[in-house]
Amino acid sequence: MIDGIINMFETVAVMGEGSVLTVFIIGLLFGGIVQYTHVGKFEKIAGFSMLKDTIVPKMLFLAVGISSIGIYFMVEMDFASYHIKPVMLGGLIIGGILFGVSMAIMGKCPGTGPISIAEGHIDTMVGAIGGLIGGLVFTVYYDDIFQGIMGESLGKPNIDSMIEGSNPWTILLFGGAIIAISILIPKKEMEDEMFGSECKKESII
Amino acid sequence: MFIRIPWWIGGILMAMLLLFTISIIGSDRPIGASTYVPYFAGVLFGLEPKEYTYLQKINNSGAWEGVMLLGVLIGGFISSKFITKNFRFSVMPTGWKRYKNKSVKSRLIWSFVAGFFMIIGARLAGGCTSGHFLSGMSQTAISAMIFGVVVMATLVITGHFFYNKKGIKDD
Repeated sequence: MIDGIINMFETVAVMGEGSVLTVFIIGLLFGGIVQYTHVGKFEKIAGFSMLKDTIVPKMLFLAVGISSIGIYFMVEMDFASYHIKPVMLGGLIIGGILFGVSMAIMGKCPGTGPISIAEGHIDTMVGAIGGLIGGLVFTVYYDDIFQGIMGESLGKPNIDSMIEGSNPWTILLFGGAIIAISILIPKKEMEDEMFGSECKKESII
Repeated sequence: MFIRIPWWIGGILMAMLLLFTISIIGSDRPIGASTYVPYFAGVLFGLEPKEYTYLQKINNSGAWEGVMLLGVLIGGFISSKFITKNFRFSVMPTGWKRYKNKSVKSRLIWSFVAGFFMIIGARLAGGCTSGHFLSGMSQTAISAMIFGVVVMATLVITGHFFYNKKGIKDD
């Protein structure tokens, strides 16, 4: 196991996608942002599934709107490139259904789960053990079962590649619309009662 | 120190982090957060990468996310312990107690089952909230939009039937 962890650091060190330190700091900031906004809490995602809390979609849509415009211009300036995931209908639909159901019940996603564990939530830790076994089952039966469910790749389209004569206005419209949605979704909150009014002390900035 | 930052500052910061990560001075790749799970499962259960095609496929991205995850755990801990000060051991979210039931056993069993299927689902789809929704939609990827619509719809349908939205009675 220790070999595996050393191997992980060595892989990142030579794969040329940021140094080990850079990747670690990206994680540090990701964890900090999620924790500081409280979106890692059960009440935020499960609350959204009950339509009693809208902080997660508001924050997510805002981040997507800003980044979509940023990434487009960064790609134009050769400062970044697209890394699009393929359309595999079986995987996206069946996987999406399993994911959506589990996310509503667990109240976390794989990105916010670790932060919830870092906050001391034992139930999330139990969920993570379930996840590790899920990861094991997926790895072991990938060739025999899961690859078949995922289906053929239908390519890796994005809006920029699909619309002929796409120009900066296309992305400004897309990003602008997503940002507008994030602002227009009515703000609703379900509180974690363990902290009572403590959580309501949101900064006034 | 503020106990919490509002959603819009969080959204702007998250966008900045994603832009840095995908840029050539960052990592030249998007943020993802579900490939590390099978990667760690492989390490933990001592699977030999040579024997599993999936482990070979995720060798690089799994390692990248694994290192990121260590940062996430430490960043989340530092923030919860020293900034927001809401680090506390607990086994049951208060929202579950209010809208589902008061049984710790029920919460732990459902957590385990949901954790299991969440990772199977994410790996089938090739991404999760971070990889598809955040990173994929930001690249206007069609795969991310299909995933986003399916997940949002099933999330809300599940929430409707799984929880008692009026709240369970106190007794």
